[in-house]
Amino acid sequence: MLSRVVLSAAATAAASLKNAAVLGPGVLQATRIFHTGQPSLAPVPPLPEYGGKVRFGLIPEEFFQFLYPKTGVTGPYMLGTGLILYFLSKEIYVITAETITTISTIGLLIYGIKKYGASVGKFADKLNEEKIAKLEEVKQASIKNIQDAIDFEKAQQALVEKRHYLFDVQRNNIAMALEVTYRERLHRVYKEVKNRLDYHISVQNMMRRKEQEHMINWVEKNVMKSISTQQEKETIAKCIEELKLLAKKAQAQPVM
Amino acid sequence: MAGRKLALKAIDWVAFGEIIPRNQKTVANSLRSWNETLTSRLAAVPEKPPAIDWAYYKANVAKAGLVDDFEKKFNALKIPVPEDKYTALVDAEEKEDVKSCAEFLAVSKTRIGEYEKQLEKLRNIIPFDQMTIDDLNEAFPETRLDKTKYPYWPHQPIENF
Repeated sequence: MLSRVVLSAAATAAASLKNAAVLGPGVLQATRIFHTGQPSLAPVPPLPEYGGKVRFGLIPEEFFQFLYPKTGVTGPYMLGTGLILYFLSKEIYVITAETITTISTIGLLIYGIKKYGASVGKFADKLNEEKIAKLEEVKQASIKNIQDAIDFEKAQQALVEKRHYLFDVQRNNIAMALEVTYRERLHRVYKEVKNRLDYHISVQNMMRRKEQEHMINWVEKNVMKSISTQQEKETIAKCIEELKLLAKKAQAQPVM
Repeated sequence: MAGRKLALKAIDWVAFGEIIPRNQKTVANSLRSWNETLTSRLAAVPEKPPAIDWAYYKANVAKAGLVDDFEKKFNALKIPVPEDKYTALVDAEEKEDVKSCAEFLAVSKTRIGEYEKQLEKLRNIIPFDQMTIDDLNEAFPETRLDKTKYPYWPHQPIENF
């Protein structure tokens, strides 16, 4: 890890892409392009998911691969052990009180990281994912809104085709009203003419009846007048005679 | 008295209901009820009145010539067809409406074009987990923090934070 920092510092100091590719972190990791000026390299290729492999958390795998052809698998370990023993024995590295504190601190750190590293990482990732999910939601909502707007516009356009029904209804109403008026006029004319003719006929009938009654009354009255008092007495006497005759005849025959 | 065929267009009442905006529903309902009243009245009145029996009247009315006179005048009578002043107005209105509908359609199409452009832009942004803050500000300008107006963090009024 520290080696990587050194190497990247060297690369930026060199300030040239080609050399950085050669010097930089080796074949196991994809080459990262550094921003040099124009931001024309967006979108930045995503960061690799995991860092390059390291052993002991310090020494990159490439070092072991580098030594493998010459010294095999145990080469780097021997080199490391030898170096440490050399520093200790020659007191290039002096054991002081600091050593103890270093060992304890680093031991504690390693313990803490090994135990809780994964969960802390997961938590941080979750935070990030929430942010991204929120943004994603906003984006989807915007897309949906625009889609709805487009659909609404299309629906309105469809309705435009149906506008003519409004005017059809109005025209139908007008035509029907005219037709109804016309027919009612025809019927009215017929009714009036018929009324007048019927009136004439009923007037005639009435006049005839009145004349008949009047004539009958007049004839009766004159007949009554023409019967004089003497004639009336004679007529009544004759009627009584005839009635008596009839009564006798009736008595003769028993009532059946 | 000539028999005229009444040319009525068939009405799709569902479509008629669809195109009416909410604040004119009462007017539309009155139009529809008028239509129904008129149809029923039209059905109630037969197309021609029954014929008058002239022979009967001629035989029975004593006054000479009265019936003939009536008959002549009756046959000569032309009942005026009520004149149609309103279809012209309706047609004029419909023409204007067609024009305004065409305008609306044009405007609506431009709106749809804009919407589609926005949609394309939204669909083509890079995935969020590969964006930097600069990319985010380009894609959604409203997320840009104004560093000149608020030079100190958080570069926005504290309420928004």
